[in-house]
Parts: sequence; structure tokens; C-alpha cells
Amino acid sequence: MRISTNTMYDSNIAVMTQQQQRMLQLQQQVSTGRKFITPADDPVAAAQALSLSQSSAVNTQYSANRGAARHTMSLTESILQSATSVLQDVRETAIAAGNGALGVNDRQMIANALTGKLQALMGLANSTDGIGNFLFAGFQSKTQPFIDTPAGVAYAGDDGQRLIQVNASRQIPSSESGADIFMRVKNGNGTFAVQAGNVNTGLPNGGTGVATVGNVTNATLLTGNNYQVEFFDDGVGGLTYNVTDLATFTTPLGGSGPYVAGQAISFDGMQFSISGTPVAGDGFTVSPSSNESVFKTMSDMIASLNNPAPGFGGRLAYSINQIDRALDNVLTSRSSVGVRLNELDALDVSGEDLGVQYQQSLSALQDVDYAKVLSDLSQQQIYLQAAQKSFAKVMGMSLFDYL
Amino acid sequence: MGNGLFGASLSGMSAAQFGLTTTEHNIANAGTLGYTRQIVDTASRNAQQTGAGFIGQGVNVTGVRRIYDQFLSTQLLQEQAQASYLTSYHTSLRQIDNLIADPAAGASPAMQQLFDAMNGVASNPESIPSRQAFISSAQYAVNRFQSIDQRFTEIADGINGQITSTVSAINSYAQQIAVLNGNIKRATASSSQGVLPNDMLDQRDQLISLLNNEVKATVLRQPDGTINLFIGTGQALVVDENVYGLQAVQSPSDSSKLEIAYNINGQLAPIQQSNLQGGTLGAYLVFRDQTLEPARNALGRVALGLADRMNQQNQMGLDLSGVMGGNLFTMGAPRVSPAAINTGGATITAGIVDVNALTTSDYQLRYDGATYSMLRLSDNMVTDLGIDPAALPAVDGFQVTLTTGALAAGDTFLIRPTANGASGIGLAISEPAKIAAAVPIRGAAALANIGTGRISSGTVNQPLPLNPDLQMPVRITFSDPAIVPQTYTVENVTDPFNPGFMDVQPYVAGQDITYNGWTVNITGTPATGDVFTVSPNTNATGDNRNALLLAGLQSQNTLSNGTATFQAAYGQLVGLIGTRTHEMDVTSLAQTNMVNETLKQQQGVSGVNLDEEAANLMRYQKAYQASAKAMQIASTLFDELLALGR
Repeated sequence: MRISTNTMYDSNIAVMTQQQQRMLQLQQQVSTGRKFITPADDPVAAAQALSLSQSSAVNTQYSANRGAARHTMSLTESILQSATSVLQDVRETAIAAGNGALGVNDRQMIANALTGKLQALMGLANSTDGIGNFLFAGFQSKTQPFIDTPAGVAYAGDDGQRLIQVNASRQIPSSESGADIFMRVKNGNGTFAVQAGNVNTGLPNGGTGVATVGNVTNATLLTGNNYQVEFFDDGVGGLTYNVTDLATFTTPLGGSGPYVAGQAISFDGMQFSISGTPVAGDGFTVSPSSNESVFKTMSDMIASLNNPAPGFGGRLAYSINQIDRALDNVLTSRSSVGVRLNELDALDVSGEDLGVQYQQSLSALQDVDYAKVLSDLSQQQIYLQAAQKSFAKVMGMSLFDYL
Repeated sequence: MGNGLFGASLSGMSAAQFGLTTTEHNIANAGTLGYTRQIVDTASRNAQQTGAGFIGQGVNVTGVRRIYDQFLSTQLLQEQAQASYLTSYHTSLRQIDNLIADPAAGASPAMQQLFDAMNGVASNPESIPSRQAFISSAQYAVNRFQSIDQRFTEIADGINGQITSTVSAINSYAQQIAVLNGNIKRATASSSQGVLPNDMLDQRDQLISLLNNEVKATVLRQPDGTINLFIGTGQALVVDENVYGLQAVQSPSDSSKLEIAYNINGQLAPIQQSNLQGGTLGAYLVFRDQTLEPARNALGRVALGLADRMNQQNQMGLDLSGVMGGNLFTMGAPRVSPAAINTGGATITAGIVDVNALTTSDYQLRYDGATYSMLRLSDNMVTDLGIDPAALPAVDGFQVTLTTGALAAGDTFLIRPTANGASGIGLAISEPAKIAAAVPIRGAAALANIGTGRISSGTVNQPLPLNPDLQMPVRITFSDPAIVPQTYTVENVTDPFNPGFMDVQPYVAGQDITYNGWTVNITGTPATGDVFTVSPNTNATGDNRNALLLAGLQSQNTLSNGTATFQAAYGQLVGLIGTRTHEMDVTSLAQTNMVNETLKQQQGVSGVNLDEEAANLMRYQKAYQASAKAMQIASTLFDELLALGR
């Protein structure tokens, strides 16, 4: 076949241009460390890399979110820990106050100590996160949640719980509602509460009768009604008790009998006992458990220490029980926070694993294999040199040289 | 005898001289573009008849012929037009390929930053710095969209410039070809039969080749040696010595675009642009219509989707000052251009009604005198819009409205719903407090409640508009659980006797309770008389519920009829451009190689080989020398003859 001289030049130049392009591409890969310089070099990998780096960035963001959640929750945890120790102190103090040998001054000193503890607890409940946001105010983070009013401590926050997105599928609550911890302390045993009567309820309590918190023996029989237990003289030197259902004004089954200190009184699925020595006319109320704030419990306790009217023992026992329940509430919240902190740790581990996987996949997609590229580069160099040398040789041959 | 000898030698010398001249011409033009080598054709002269037989009389030069293979040349023309098309398309694509996927400059990292910042707001809704970070990130994202769109505009402007210069190149080539047509016609006519002006033919062929690099042209050869050139679907560009030029004119449907019109003696006639195929011009037109504008539309759709979804979600929330949220972003309105030939004088506007349903296509609104219809240009699907111009239904997420005038039959409007999306996106707020991180309502349980019932914080029901009574304080009171079914009563707290509603419903734990545009649910067993309230979320600086929803938009499939997230839709754009560019990488290289192969073949026939010419030089030199020697011998013989007479 004939070959035109121009073709020899043109095709050699074309080949060398292509080889130089390939060299440039390899050189760019070496200098950028990326397999593809533009999406066109490998469109599938480029699109995958884009979506992977998004996933990776989102994963990193979740980790930052977990950090924010952990900060708030650790703070909450430590506040609740302090609240726990305050309440434990209160409990010990209250038990000490039950000592019959104490005089008026002693009780007042105890009352003063308890007032201090109440202030401390209020302070803890009104804790902020360090930049002025109240931890236990629900959504109203700039509003002081617990306010001392003449009618007792009121809650100005709400039930809002802040959720934080901690991974793709989980929103974790990072805050605790102050109402749940401090305000919603169920009185009695959580189902019903037996309280010594007082003048306000029309049941003066002149004796020393003290009721236990009781328990539920048969949940299906519970009525949710209010009752009152009254003591009567049986005419032979003893006492009888009689229970009245205040909704129906009847006496439920088992609701009357001779009083024996410490013996169980049970009716409508509930059971409790009264010990000590009530006097005729004394009474107790039995009502479904309602919410009583820990602050009210403490101020009631302080009030009765300052003014130990008859029935003091019964009221103190009731208060100690309330402090126990408040302690339960705090500990429940603490354990819930603790469990969530643990969950965060677990999510951190899986998030980091995921991050490493994303990085590995990304690296496999877009990072250059230097060993391969460098060897390709030197190979390409050899090809180009060979092309250049042979071109010069071939072009150096001409018949005109012999004319 | 002497005469015969001299004559034959002289003809040999003359033929050798022709050969030498032609060889030198070949050598001189070895590097001339489009040159085809020439050779001298010779034939022996008619022999003289004698009694002894026919005696040769020498040689005649019958012509100088160019070695030309029409089949190869035509093939080369077609392949060059295609190669030039692919190369130009490829070069244009490269301009946007890297732009949209650049890890630093693309829109994807900017959107990521925006959502990262929104997550920051969700983690610390009361923090002004977190909110400011969102505003800054949003501004950055807006800038990214705008600057990528700006780059698209620059590329489109560049293409307008290229079209202008390509058109003038085409006209210039056509002019030169017409001139050569005339010269060739006259040269052919004036010379003896079958003798062709080789070099002019070469020049014309070269011009045709250059023209084909600009636009694909069909060649029709005429018996008188001229050629006629046609482009598109048979529009004459050159006929004999006449030139019908092209002109770049403003597109009747989009004033920012230049299109090609056909110039017949000063009268401009429109050409169907898609018929102008091949060459640089075809590449620019195809690139603009099939890649650049769709890419701009796709980018616009992502911007519109992002702006619209975030705006809507923000409007469902409460900002830091306790006011209902407004728009976070401003949005670009659809682009509407009436056709230049419209006679009705109507004005049309278009608005986005559902970003989820938007496509990346352009549309054409048509009126046939009775009914309105919408043509989707990407797949030519027609949607009937009925006959009432006052109530044209929405199509694919946008709706057109007749504002003034009326359409005449045959009037059309080009509607580009998402073309302005990326250029028109802007930040509507500058105050960090305006981010609506909270939900306008909150559910709460009364502290005096005895039962175990708990109420959720509540959510606002999609979609907008919001219920006007959304923030009306509402109380939900429960009946005795012992009496089955337990019921709850819903009341207006502020005015229970004029409630607008008063409702009693059986209670099912965990079931959604929906009133006034909100939904809460209550779980557990509320006791008799337990009260739950749903009230305005005042002072809710710490509420992040709406911010969580805003941040969650990132992973929601809110585009393309619920099949793509914002970033996925953007990724599709990157993938599309990447794939197309990659395809062009490969095909343009393949085409170039093919051109080189054909060129090699064509050059193999027509190209100059210098070694061959060197050999020819020697051949003709020797022939000349030999003929001269023969003449010398003839001269000697003649001398001998003269000496006899002395």
C-alpha cells in the first residue's frame, strides 16, 4: 500500500498526542491522589462517591448531634445525682426528726436544715446548661421552671422533651421534663394513699395512730373512689373501725371490724394497717394516689416540724414515704438518662464503624493506587520515548539524502 | 528519417520535462492541505506507416491527472463532519462536567453544610450562633446555586458567540466555493475535452472539507464541473455561482438564544434547528438544547425543591420570638416567553404549585382556537387543558394563568418551569431568630391528673395552609375508665360555650387525636376528670421539633414524584453529565481514529510520497537524458550524412 509522507507525520503525531494525553491524565492522578479528575473519567464511581460522601457527612453530623445530646444528658445526670444525695440527706434528717426525745428547739433546728435542703433542691431543679437554658423547663428553656409562690412551688415549664437525631433512624430524648421528676410524685403507694385526717378534713387526729402505705391485693376490685376510715368506741374499752365509700356512702366488704393495732384492714382490693393508739373520733382518708411535688412534701414536713400538732408521727411517716417516692422518681429519671447515655456510646461505636466503612468505600472508589499509577506512568513514558525515537529514525530516512 | 528521430527525441524530452515539472509541483505541495498528487499521462504517438510496418513517432503528453478517489473523499467528508461534531460537543460538555461535581465548588457540599447547620439548630434551638451558622450556610448554598447557574449562562453566551463566528465561517466558505465553481466551470469549458483544472478542484474540495467541519453539507456534482451544496433538509447553500447564506438571529421563543436562519436574498427564513446536524454548529445547537438547558433545569429544580420544602416547613413552625415562621428562601418564577409569531397579544404567567411533581423539561402552551393544551418538550406528551382560559389545570407541578388578553388560534408560549430556579433562589431572612425551630402548639397533662395518661407534644398537620384555629387553646377531659367505652371531651378553653366545636369521642390509647390542624396522641389510662391541654407553644425557646423536621428534609424523597432527595436529584444531574461526557470521551476518540484511518487510505491514494517523487525525479531525469542522448545520436547521424556530400 502507498503511504503518503504526510500520513507518516500525521499518524505519528496523533499517536504521540494520545500518549501525552494519557500521561497527563496519569500525572494528574498522581498529583491529586484521585482516580478520576472529573465525573466523565468514571461517571458511575463519581456518582457513587458523591452519594457516599453525603452519607459520610450525614454520619459525621449524627456524631456531632450525639455530642450535643451527651453534653445535655451528662449535665442532667450530674444534677440528678446531686438531687439524689440531697433527697437522701432529707430522708435521714426526717427519720432523725421522728425521735420522740427531741425537743422543740431540736425540731426547729431540723426544720431549718430542711429549709436549706429545700432551697438546694429548688436550685438544682432550676439548673441551667451554663449558657442560661433551663434544663428542666421543657420547651420553655428561657423560663425559670420552678417558682416559689405563696401557694407553694409552681411549675412554669411544660412537658416538652427535646429529641435529638442521633442516627438515621433514632431520635433520642435529650432532656427530662421537670414536672415528671419533681412535680409528679405519686403519693401513698402509687395507687392509693392513706393519710391521717386533720381538722381540715373533719377528722381530727388526736391519737397516735399511724397508717402503713399499704398495697394492692386485687387490682380488679379497685374502684378509684375516696374512702374514709373512722374509729369508734366499742363500749367495752376497745375501738372499732368503719370504712365509708365517699362515692356511694356505703361500707365496702371487710370495711369494718374491731381495731387491732397492726392488723390488716382490707377492702375493695386494697390492704393497709394502722398501728399506734388512735382515739375514738380519729380518722384516716384513703384516696387514689395523686401527684404531690417533692417541694410540697418538704415544706409540709418543715411546717409540721415547726408546729408539731397532734398526729405528727403519722404525718412524718407519710412525708418520709413521699421522700422515698420522690427519690424513686429521680432515680428512675437518672437510670433512664443513664440508659440513653449508654445507647449513645453504642451508637458512637456503630457510627464510627460506619464512618470507617464509608471512608474505606470512598477511598476504594476515588483514591489512586499509587503503585499502579506510578508503574503505569513509567510504562507510558517508555511508550512515548519509543514512539519519539522510532519517529525520528523513520523520518530521518529519505531518498533525497542520496540524490 | 532525421525528422522522425529528432521528433521522437524531442517528444521524449518534452514528456520528461512535463514529468519533472509535475513531480516538482507534487514536492512543492507535499504539505498543502487538500492537495492531491498529480501524474502525467502519456501515450505513444501514432506510428508512421511504411512498407516495412509501423514506425513509432515518439510520445504525446495526454494530460496531467490528479489521483483522486471520490468514494474515499466523500467518506472522509462525512467522517470529518461527525468527528468535528463530536469533538465540539465533547469540548463543550467538559466545561460543565467538572463544574457541577467539584468537591469544593459543586452544590452538593453546600447543601450538606446547610443541613449540617440545621442539625445544629435542632441540637441548640435557643442558640443564636447556631441559627446564625444556618443563615450563613444557607447564604453559601444560595451563592453556589447562583454561581453555577451564572456559569451556565456564561457558557450559553459563549455558545452564542461561537454560533455567530461559525455562521460567518460557513458563509465565507460558501462564498469561496461559489467563486471556485465559476472558475472551474469556465476553465473546464475553455480547455479541450476531459482536461480538468486539478488545483482548483483541490482547493474547492478543501473548502468543502472545511465547511463540513462547521456543518454537515451534502455535495451534488454537476456535469459542467460545478457543485451544489445543501445543508439541513435540503436547503441550498451554494448553487452554481449563487450563495444563499445563513444568519444568526435571536430565537423567537427565547431572546437569550441565537438561532440560525436562512438568508434568501435578504429575506430571512427560519430553519428547524434540529435539522442542522453535524459539524461544530450542530454540536453547539445539540449541546445547548440537550445538555446545557436540561442541566440548568435540573439544577433549578433542586433549588426550587429545597427552597419550597424548607419554606413550607418553616411556615409550620414558630420562630424564636414566638411568631409563626415565614419563608426562608425566595424562589425563581417559571420563565414564560410568547412565540414571536403570536397574534393574540395575551400575557401568560406561570407558577409552581407542587415541586414534587416538577420535571426538568420545558413545555409549550398551545391553543388551537378551541382547546388549550400543554406539550412536554422532553417526550412530546400532550396534556389537554380544556377550554376555559380562566381555569387552566396544573400540569407536572406548575400552573399557567392568563393575565391579560386572549390567545389567538395557533398562539404558543414556551414555559420553562425550573429554568429560573437556580438563578432566582435567594435568602428571604437575615435574622437568626426567624428560623422556626418550634412547633406552634404543645400538649400538656395537668399536674393534678391521677391516671397514667400521657400526651405527646403534638405535631402540625401537613399540608399548608395552616388551620386558622391552630393555636386555639383546647382542653381534653376524660370520663370514668370504669364505664366502657371511656370517652374524652374536647373543648375550647377560652370560650367553652362558644366553642366552634364540642366533641365527645371514645378513647383508644395511642390513637391520633386531630383537631384544628394539629395531632396529638394520648397513651395510658387517664382517670376520671383527668385533663390534657393543647395550647399555644409560648416561650418555647427550647423546642426543636420543627427544626428536626427541617433537618429531616435532607433525607426525604421530596422530588421527582417522591423518588429523590435534593442531593440525589443533584447526583442524578452529575451522573447524567458525567456519563454523557464519558460517552463523548470514548466516541470522539473513536471517531477521530476512524477519520485518521480513512485519511490514511485517502492519503494512500492521493497523498504525496516524497521518496516516490524522488524516484520520479530520477526517472524523468534519466528519461530526459536518454532522449537528449538519442537527439545527439540523431545529430551525429545527420552530420555523417552531410559529410557524405562533401
